[in-house]
Amino acid sequence: MSTPAQVMEQVETQPIHPPPTSFWRKYVFSIDHKVIARQFLWAGLLFLLVGGTLAMLIRWQWGFPYQKVPILGDVFLGANGGLIGPATYQKVFTMHGLIMIFFAVTPVLIGTFGNFLIPLMIGARDMAFPKLNMYSFWTFALSQALVVASFLVDLGTAGAGWTTYPPLATNVGTPGTGQTLVVAALFVTGVSSTMGAINYVTTVIRLRAPGMTWMRLPLTIWGLWLTAILNALFIPVLGSAALLLLLDRSFGTQFFIAGAAAVRGGGDPILYQHLFWIFGHPEVYIMILPAWGIVGDVLAFFARKPHHWYRGSVWAMVAVTVLSAMVYGHHMFMTGMSPLLGEAFMLFTLTISVPSMVVVLNWLFTIWKGSIRFTTPMLFALGTMFVFGVGGLTGLFLGDISMDLYLHDTMFVVGHFHFTMAAASFMGAMTGLYFWLPKIYGRKLDERLGKVHFWFSIVGFTVVFGGQLLVGWAGQQRRLFDPFQYTFIQGLRGLNQWTSIFAFVLFAGQFVFVWNFFKTVFGKAEAAGRNPWEVTTLEWTDTTSPPPFHNFDVIPVVVRGPHEFANPDVKRLLGRDWVGQAEKVPALEEAPAAAAKA
Amino acid sequence: MGVASSTAAPRPPGGLLPGGRVIPFRRRGEAATAWLGMVVFLGSWAMMFAGLFFSYGLVRLRAPAWPPPDQPPLPLLLPGVNVAVVLLSEGALVLALRRLRGGKPRPAAAALVAATLLGATFLALQTAVWVSLWDAGLRPDGGPYASVFYALTVFHAIHVLVGLVALVWLAARSLAGGLGPTRLQALRLWAMYWHFVGAVWVALYLAVYVI
Repeated sequence: MSTPAQVMEQVETQPIHPPPTSFWRKYVFSIDHKVIARQFLWAGLLFLLVGGTLAMLIRWQWGFPYQKVPILGDVFLGANGGLIGPATYQKVFTMHGLIMIFFAVTPVLIGTFGNFLIPLMIGARDMAFPKLNMYSFWTFALSQALVVASFLVDLGTAGAGWTTYPPLATNVGTPGTGQTLVVAALFVTGVSSTMGAINYVTTVIRLRAPGMTWMRLPLTIWGLWLTAILNALFIPVLGSAALLLLLDRSFGTQFFIAGAAAVRGGGDPILYQHLFWIFGHPEVYIMILPAWGIVGDVLAFFARKPHHWYRGSVWAMVAVTVLSAMVYGHHMFMTGMSPLLGEAFMLFTLTISVPSMVVVLNWLFTIWKGSIRFTTPMLFALGTMFVFGVGGLTGLFLGDISMDLYLHDTMFVVGHFHFTMAAASFMGAMTGLYFWLPKIYGRKLDERLGKVHFWFSIVGFTVVFGGQLLVGWAGQQRRLFDPFQYTFIQGLRGLNQWTSIFAFVLFAGQFVFVWNFFKTVFGKAEAAGRNPWEVTTLEWTDTTSPPPFHNFDVIPVVVRGPHEFANPDVKRLLGRDWVGQAEKVPALEEAPAAAAKA
Repeated sequence: MGVASSTAAPRPPGGLLPGGRVIPFRRRGEAATAWLGMVVFLGSWAMMFAGLFFSYGLVRLRAPAWPPPDQPPLPLLLPGVNVAVVLLSEGALVLALRRLRGGKPRPAAAALVAATLLGATFLALQTAVWVSLWDAGLRPDGGPYASVFYALTVFHAIHVLVGLVALVWLAARSLAGGLGPTRLQALRLWAMYWHFVGAVWVALYLAVYVI
């Protein structure tokens, strides 16, 4: 089999460049995809902590409204006597959502894994455009700086909800520089994501090692590649929305302003919702497809079995990618959309569950009768399966118009998307981190601490987001500063309090990971060795941990698929249950022939 | 360090793999990679403009009158001339690349300078359009009609400006001493960008000025 990379190999080769020596080129303005991945990891994890802290403030307000916030109250809310006021609350839940989605999960799931894994898993020396890769990170850093700056200006940061709907998000609803800075940060982070996407799409198409055909790609790469396509196509639509909103805020244009503030009829606030969700629904899959890919690979690796119906999973992911672009209207059932259009959107939405189910059932069949190794990444992969299952099934309720009319804007929606976008994406990212940190930093994470972290996470996520589903079903609206101002919500005080307590436990449990992470990166943890998990893909079988600047001394020639486990001939010939993607075993090619003869 | 690369590997002829299989891309090697990256970028950026055109369409459908009776209609002539200017500039760029490929650097430089001057002409004419409408009382905060006009044309003009800066730089290099292989590659990519910006202008002219 010949791939374009093979042609390059023969014609121009990917030359080995000498590694940079100066501090700036090595650690700061590096063009090495592995360094950039680490930069994204740190930037993402830092903001994950910020976003998580903001979540704790929200939970405090819902569990213990009008009470002084312990610890954080004196530090951040001193001016208000340690209380969360209504205006602050708006900003807290707005920034929790925006930071988590754009500045925490995206950099970890796409920035880190995309950068680190794509060249290594396809057998390339670096990304197709290493400099663009560097610009992508520093553009992203700029967007984070804008977010930080927004907290420091007069009137504080953005407060119009993570969706930033006008007219609330215009100067009429949310005056002040903070909101403008955050909208600008969205535009800038979009530019960064677009640069990354261009790199990912091109790299996978052009730089696959000889023999790395499309159907031999690890599922992780499929997930990241499809994500990159969605990013390339739909992040710019968010860019256009952010651009027009910025113009409305800064230059007095009238795209989204209607009603009393409008000039000559004004624009249309619903227009923003269209633009936002044309991007926003693919974004949901942007945040879950990499996790799907990672989980698919890790389940096969630790069940010691080939992934069940690999091609089915690949095509199902492709189908989800295509369908994800055709369903955005289900976020807008309540906007007075034509019922016919609404039904079309409902139909497509519910259709997505078919390929999604193919993916999930393939996971189940993969672990079925496997010789499962319950390592930390495997536990997190299984956990992702569970929370994604709950999130997916609750999505069916919301995709259905008649149910959505009742559940719209309740905590049920919040519970649903937290199971998918928060719990599943986070646990998927953790699966990847526990699995690949030994490759990224060359040292093993502590398995025992990892398992403690897992149990905190799975129990915490299930109870916290399950609690949200329950109160939502009972009618509690989302985003309310004081939900209990409604008499019929009074009975949910206890449930809200318990949910909050579990949220604090969940948050506290994350510091087990922080401790583990620092211990591994800066401590004297055991060296991981080349292939500690005994798995098959190129980054483990064909290079060291961490890999050298040029990744591979010799570009590997791939001869088989990504999950070659439990092959009896391999066991007989090599004495192990796995064989690498680029491992040549001449006797193995003869073995089936010999068996057929016998 | 690991294995050194063999830089002296001979090129197989004419886009064929050993064994006679055709290479599945139009161009080979790094040039093909850069070409593909540019295609993905322009496709991506096209979605941004698609978002803006979509916004224009929706805002306009909601408007009771377009243009509003108290605001000036958009001119047709000057922007129409600009369509011709953009197309000529694109043509000059195509010519420059063709001459470079034919090994004629001096005529190529002349064509490149022509393309650059035409790009500058475009911006000058567009500025004239803005000034005349501004003087006629059309301001960005004057309602959706003005919003659409200024947002779309200015955003497009920024893209023209970026392309123009690159063309000025490349034209200067080619006048100073010709374009090496790296800069020739850069010129190819900027030409793709320039065609994209030109295509957006034609669409913009039809959608915003004519209809």
